[in-house]
Amino acid sequence: MPGRAAMRRTLYLMWKELLELRRDPRLLNIVVLAPVLQLLLLGYAATTDVRNVPVVVADADRSAASRRLIEQFNESPYFTVTHVVTTVDQITPYLERGTAWMALDIPAGYGEKLGAGQPQTVQVVADGSDSNSATVGLGYATSLVAAYAQRLIAARSPAAARAGLDPRIRIWFNPRLESRDFMVPGVLALLLVVVTAIMSSMAIVRERELGTLEQLNVTPLGRGELILGKLVPYAAIGLVDVVLVIAVALLWFQVPLRGSLALLMALTLVYLLTALGLGLFVSTISDTQQQAMMTAMFFFLMPMIYLSGFVFPIENMPRVIQALTYLIPLRYYLVIVRGIFLKGVGLETLWPQAAALAVWGVGILVLAVARSSKRIA
Amino acid sequence: MKKALAVGRKEFRQIVRDRRTLSVLLVVPILFLLLFGYALNWDVRHVRLAVDDQDHTTQSRDLVSAFVDSDYFDLVGAVRQDQIRGLMNRGDVRAVLVIPSGTGRRLLAGRTAPIQVLINGDDANTATTVMGYAQALLNGLSTEYRLARYPVTGRPPVTVEPRIWYNPELRSALFLVPGLIAYIAMLTAVISTALSVVREKELGTMEQVRMAPLGTLSYVTGKSLPYFLVSMISSLGIVVVAMWLFDLPMRGSWPLLVLAIALFLAGGLGLGLLVSTVSDSQQVAFQIAALVSFMPTLLLSGFIFPIASMPVWLQVTTYVVPARYFLVVLRGIVLKGVGLPIVWPDMLALVAFAGVVLGLAAVRLRREWA
Amino acid sequence: MNAITVRDLTRRFGDFVAVDRVSFDVAPGEIFGFLGANGAGKSTTIRMLCGLLKPTSGSASVGGLDVTRDPEGVKRRIGYMSQRFSLYEKLTVDENIRFYGGIYGLSGARFEARRRFVIEMAGLEGRGRSLTRDLPGGVRQRLALGCAILHEPPIVFLDEPTGGVDPLSRRRFWTLIDTLSTGGVTVLVTTHYMDEAEHCHRLAIMHAGRLAAIGSTSELKQVFADRPIVEIDSSNAIEAMRALKDLPSVEKTSVFGTAVHAVLRPGAADTGALTRRLTAAGLQVRAIVPVPPSLEDVFLDVMDRSPQP
Repeated sequence: MPGRAAMRRTLYLMWKELLELRRDPRLLNIVVLAPVLQLLLLGYAATTDVRNVPVVVADADRSAASRRLIEQFNESPYFTVTHVVTTVDQITPYLERGTAWMALDIPAGYGEKLGAGQPQTVQVVADGSDSNSATVGLGYATSLVAAYAQRLIAARSPAAARAGLDPRIRIWFNPRLESRDFMVPGVLALLLVVVTAIMSSMAIVRERELGTLEQLNVTPLGRGELILGKLVPYAAIGLVDVVLVIAVALLWFQVPLRGSLALLMALTLVYLLTALGLGLFVSTISDTQQQAMMTAMFFFLMPMIYLSGFVFPIENMPRVIQALTYLIPLRYYLVIVRGIFLKGVGLETLWPQAAALAVWGVGILVLAVARSSKRIA
Repeated sequence: MKKALAVGRKEFRQIVRDRRTLSVLLVVPILFLLLFGYALNWDVRHVRLAVDDQDHTTQSRDLVSAFVDSDYFDLVGAVRQDQIRGLMNRGDVRAVLVIPSGTGRRLLAGRTAPIQVLINGDDANTATTVMGYAQALLNGLSTEYRLARYPVTGRPPVTVEPRIWYNPELRSALFLVPGLIAYIAMLTAVISTALSVVREKELGTMEQVRMAPLGTLSYVTGKSLPYFLVSMISSLGIVVVAMWLFDLPMRGSWPLLVLAIALFLAGGLGLGLLVSTVSDSQQVAFQIAALVSFMPTLLLSGFIFPIASMPVWLQVTTYVVPARYFLVVLRGIVLKGVGLPIVWPDMLALVAFAGVVLGLAAVRLRREWA
Repeated sequence: MNAITVRDLTRRFGDFVAVDRVSFDVAPGEIFGFLGANGAGKSTTIRMLCGLLKPTSGSASVGGLDVTRDPEGVKRRIGYMSQRFSLYEKLTVDENIRFYGGIYGLSGARFEARRRFVIEMAGLEGRGRSLTRDLPGGVRQRLALGCAILHEPPIVFLDEPTGGVDPLSRRRFWTLIDTLSTGGVTVLVTTHYMDEAEHCHRLAIMHAGRLAAIGSTSELKQVFADRPIVEIDSSNAIEAMRALKDLPSVEKTSVFGTAVHAVLRPGAADTGALTRRLTAAGLQVRAIVPVPPSLEDVFLDVMDRSPQP
């Protein structure tokens, strides 16, 4: 019967958990600092933008015109010309070694024929082993040369230059197309899950591994009290992490927060619930901490990370897998977090995600609690 | 050596008996391979496009057709201006084509006709790609109109002919698979080793091991050997399955590949042992191991995010991430078919890393046991 | 009213029968011992009685409450101490006591009194701030017992509580158990130390999941009422055993330290035959003396006579 006695027991368990955490200062530091470190790292590294692509140029022409073309590449923030060689065969070692990702091949006679008004074609080679950068890089190269060509036309015939379309491209929500603004909110989701799910499941399993769980099972400590007592400290740590990470995101990375902070915190709490439920569930199916960690990490977290839309867009996935992603709570939380940060939307737009998250959270907690028992059947 | 084998055999038996851990170490990498190969890519297709055609001329309809006929865009429907924000907010469309009235007239008169393309920037990478598609499409159309008007002076003097080496179909899978090997190998090697050593510390069985006349070297070798074997098996398994299911080519030499993997794994194991010397509990070991292996391998190795695009100071730090070198070697051998003459600097870096971490770990372990 | 009543208690794990129709009673204030080899079913039985494991069939009542129907009620009435001492290593002595006290709902003056009692009992005066992990084994054992009885339970279960602890600490521990028992607390303890078993009021010997023998130590030793045991001190115990192998008056022999215990058949009191056989085998016989049966003899005898699983 939940009552004052039950609450006292739960509080005692929480007190013990926090004491143990405090006695292992390394753990506490790591658990609080690691997310911030990871955020910093991710914030700077996690960019799918393509910049400073190293380019090697085979200039068989060596004319003023070819040099001007090379300049176009060098001046662009997307490319950096690292080496200029003479023949096409000489570019192969650079691409094999990976020192250059792209190559520009300017044929002999380029400058002369250009001056004579004959249309020229230059080859741009991309290293396809990094298919993403290759695609984007080729795209930039094509645009760059097209813009250059446009300028050449304008120089000869302004009227001809004016005819045609003038594309005005506007990017909504993220005009600078900063990968960071897109990634950082996602990192929030990621870190929360790691800390709360994995750490809390390991904490419970550790008691089983060391034998103290049996002792606890013999005491009047109830099943619910044990669960609460174990999970709440980690929820608290998770919340501290959330606040830290949001602070770093806002103040250091200056990711815009266009929506309501209150709504963000509220929905984060719901998300925390699902993470804890997951941790608890994993603890009921693991006997050792190593098992708990591996199960949580490899069977739950990593698929969740990759299938949630954190790095790889869900819309690019096959239909079957897209259907599967509806089962992943991280998917909904990402939409929520990105929506609040970048788009400034509120509950009126996000209610489907919030509802899905709540259902998931309650569901897994109920399942996990049902599986935990003070007595082995 | 015999003692090392004894420790190794015990550890191996423990792994095998722990079916969950074993399946994670062997099965999960294959699962991820399938995931990466079939589901995860940046190949953007079926971009959901809405159109706000305020012009209603033949030209504007041509414009819309150009988008729809391309392989990239899927027309979701026609919309009014006031509906756009809602669609973008909910993420229902990725791009909106806005054709202002008078476009057709201007095109026919040979004047500049502005066209708006609104792109949903909530996913920066996709947005960049979509922007590229849109620009290419519009540039192509623009050239057509210009040439129609000015057949001579309107022709672009320079155009690009793209060529793709090593992966002509630009399949994401071929790009991601070598990275996947690095990722999984590092993860299992580091984390398993760290946890297994620390578990003995935590449970107190370490004392019993120390009692035995076992040298540090034997203990270390014995502990790591089974994980080395298991990681090696799953790495090679990934390569084989990738070759079978995803037509991963193998253009280089197998012995060199195995050597590279072995060196990389040795570094990973050393890292795991090093982590175990700074952790007293498995929870700490896991966090530290994840921080020094999971994060750098995922972020700083060039596996997913290109190194050259990072800020310079961060690029410098990638020089201590072994996965960076491993990836170059792996991609070189598998996709480009190069040999030792080309990749020797990176192999050397792998050897150096493994040497340093194993040495450090040995020193610290010996001090701990003294 | 019995403190513990067990009827046909059984526990199966798949095909394996860990505890097979065990029945016994324990009176209040009794020290009841469970003797048996590892894997005989002692721990499993205790865990069922504590409500940690659900019985497959049979029934048991502890402190008047049914173990199957009201395990939580049972847990409030008992104290439990397991092999691994289950204290939190990273906590101090005071913190461990405070934690378990809090879990059992002790507070205020009563808690303070009990706390002082446990500290004194464990000999930890002035060391309340020491980390549990730094305490020697014997001290930790006493502390664990103390934490188990903080709430003054009428019944206490101890599962191999003295594993790996020096003899002096063991003796001190058993003094504590005696004190508890004198105070009216029922103690059910498992052990595989014979000298500890002698300390119990009544003993149950478990073998392969079954209760092979039960009674007080003197009752158990009755099996040797008509079969005298002699202790043979010779120059080579193994050779002696071999020499006596098919002597008609000897039922069985076993090694006891450097000597040999020979169980003689009923009525065969004459040790002369043994001496002659031994000397004939070339052994030097230093002494053959009749000895009273020890619990170890009883235990081995029970093992011999029990049906093999």
